[in-house]
Amino acid sequence: MLRQHPQIRRRTVARALALGAISAIGLAACGGTSSSSGTSSSTSSGTSVKRVTIAFISQGTSNSWAAQLDAVARKTANQLGVKLTYFNGEGNATTQLPLIQQAIAVHPNAIVLVPLGQAADTGPVERAMAAGIKVILLDSTVNTNNYTSLVNPDAATASVPLAEWLAKKMNYKGNLLYVGGLPGNATTILYDKGFYSVMNKYPNIHIVNAGNANYSISTAKQLTATAIASGRKFTGAWGVGGEAVTGIMLAYADSNIRPIPPVAGAAATNGTLRLAVQDNIQAAMLQFPPTDSQLAIQIAYKAVQGPMPWALGRNGGRDLIGLDHAG
Amino acid sequence: MSRDHFRSESARIPKGEDADGVGSALITGTAGPAEVAAPHRRSLADRVRRGPARVYPLPVALAALTVALVAVFEPRFYRPANLHVLMQQWSVLGLVTLGQLLVLLVAGIDLSVGAVMNASLIIIALMNGHSLLVVSLLLCLALGALVGVTNGVLVSVREVPPFAATLGMLAVIQGAILVYTKGIPAGNIPASLRPVALSGVGIVPYSLIMCLGVAALLLFALRRGTYGRKIYAVGRSPEVARRAGISTIYVRVSAYMACGVLAAAAGIILSAYVGYVDPEIGGNYNLESIAAAVLGGVAFTGGEGGVIGALAGSLFLLALLNVATISSLNPFTQLIVQGVVMLIAVFLFQLLKKRTRT
Repeated sequence: MLRQHPQIRRRTVARALALGAISAIGLAACGGTSSSSGTSSSTSSGTSVKRVTIAFISQGTSNSWAAQLDAVARKTANQLGVKLTYFNGEGNATTQLPLIQQAIAVHPNAIVLVPLGQAADTGPVERAMAAGIKVILLDSTVNTNNYTSLVNPDAATASVPLAEWLAKKMNYKGNLLYVGGLPGNATTILYDKGFYSVMNKYPNIHIVNAGNANYSISTAKQLTATAIASGRKFTGAWGVGGEAVTGIMLAYADSNIRPIPPVAGAAATNGTLRLAVQDNIQAAMLQFPPTDSQLAIQIAYKAVQGPMPWALGRNGGRDLIGLDHAG
Repeated sequence: MSRDHFRSESARIPKGEDADGVGSALITGTAGPAEVAAPHRRSLADRVRRGPARVYPLPVALAALTVALVAVFEPRFYRPANLHVLMQQWSVLGLVTLGQLLVLLVAGIDLSVGAVMNASLIIIALMNGHSLLVVSLLLCLALGALVGVTNGVLVSVREVPPFAATLGMLAVIQGAILVYTKGIPAGNIPASLRPVALSGVGIVPYSLIMCLGVAALLLFALRRGTYGRKIYAVGRSPEVARRAGISTIYVRVSAYMACGVLAAAAGIILSAYVGYVDPEIGGNYNLESIAAAVLGGVAFTGGEGGVIGALAGSLFLLALLNVATISSLNPFTQLIVQGVVMLIAVFLFQLLKKRTRT
């Protein structure tokens, strides 16, 4: 190892200390902004208002629906003047988990979380609540009621009419091809709950489980192609997630099986609708509105302002009310 | 000692010593050219009896055993339609695994193959209608080569650990795709590309014929060519290879480049098969290609493994998935069964290898 001249070494140490001090000041400044209950800014009338900081821990860059969800969240935050810190879950529960910890460490006023792991995200959500951060869950849930609010279409209830439609199209009998979603994901679990609650009523419908597509179109297509190639005749197909539905449709479109059996599940995208029309497939799907994130950001914003419940607006002649689970 | 001396020593690295049953590369030490063993040729019987010849047919035997067991328990496996689907999937995983094999042989690893496949799909979809198909395909292959060269340079020149370098590259490519597409990729896969994966000779898709063609070329290069001997030499002991006059940088960079090109080719075939813009198309292939190679007897430590083993490993992996699907096993049980079978296969492989060495 090379030995440095003492003077050079002292200079190096001094530089390192200076750099460290500057960094510490910088970090303290940044941290101060985040950890306070909000930064102050002056309005044109000269009054000082707090700027709300929200950590948006999204499903992230995984599909077009998630991209729309993110875009709406950003737009809403801009409109409200909220400082939105974006955390990209990349559609992966394992990737998302440390991001929640990171967001808690920054201590925003509120966290809007799209939970990808129902069980895994429970602890971090409770820790955030314990740290005094408002937590708004978006489009999925965790295994606790200790959160501020939940913006979530009820997937279990929503999938019931779709499953009923499919069962009817199958004349309540025959093989049903099932392509699953992401194991452990709350939305997948809820879709399954609704689906099986219907199918269990019809013993003549035999569910053939092709496996989980993990929200991947190519995996769903390969699973479906394999299931079709095994020689089984399917009178209906069910996909969990838009990717699964798309994969099922693509596999049937490339096969020589006509007519293509009816397909149901979630969630509809422009691509799946196009395929259904193009290949003359009877299909029933629903979609979580990407504007859910608008509601979630609005709730987070208002939750920071004061106690709940309060009316956020009107929809279909009804007030939208958020409830403060944390009391 | 002159450089010419090292060159003359390098010429003594024996020929045809890959791991597909022919024998082991005979660089046995790390001290210098004197330890580069003298060439010798073994009879076929000798090759079967001794050394890695007894080890590397294991994946082939496992694949054969699977095929036999499946015939008894799940005869639907042998339906021509199912074999066609299996061959379609094998052509993609086979190509990626061959690329991964080259990198593993030089003691590297490539975690960016999935991202290269994604990039291929995006290029094809975005250029559809704007340029000739052949131009977009060449661009895909060129991108694969560029990514591979960058990985190779990072690993061999800058000495960045392969895991970190290729993981970083994965993030860069995925990020670039997201920046360019804004997370909402659009476009279509040209219909003229689809027969590559969907049509073929009888039940054998064209994509598999291409894959086997590439495999044959690689098999020849690794068994009979100077390049193959260099690959094994660098993988076994870079220091000895360097002293023997082999440019380890060139060999490593070329291995990564070939891996990138093969990943791009696999991405093209998978795009043709799926026929839809799925930005996560290559997501599973990083780990699957590594798993297939390891099942096929390729060692993480470099210098061990071969083309036939890698192809057999990928076929074995896909056959497992296929049987699990057509048997309609519960997906959670599927994972357990696959995991257990893979662990047994790797355990048997290690056991056999240990015995062979002793």
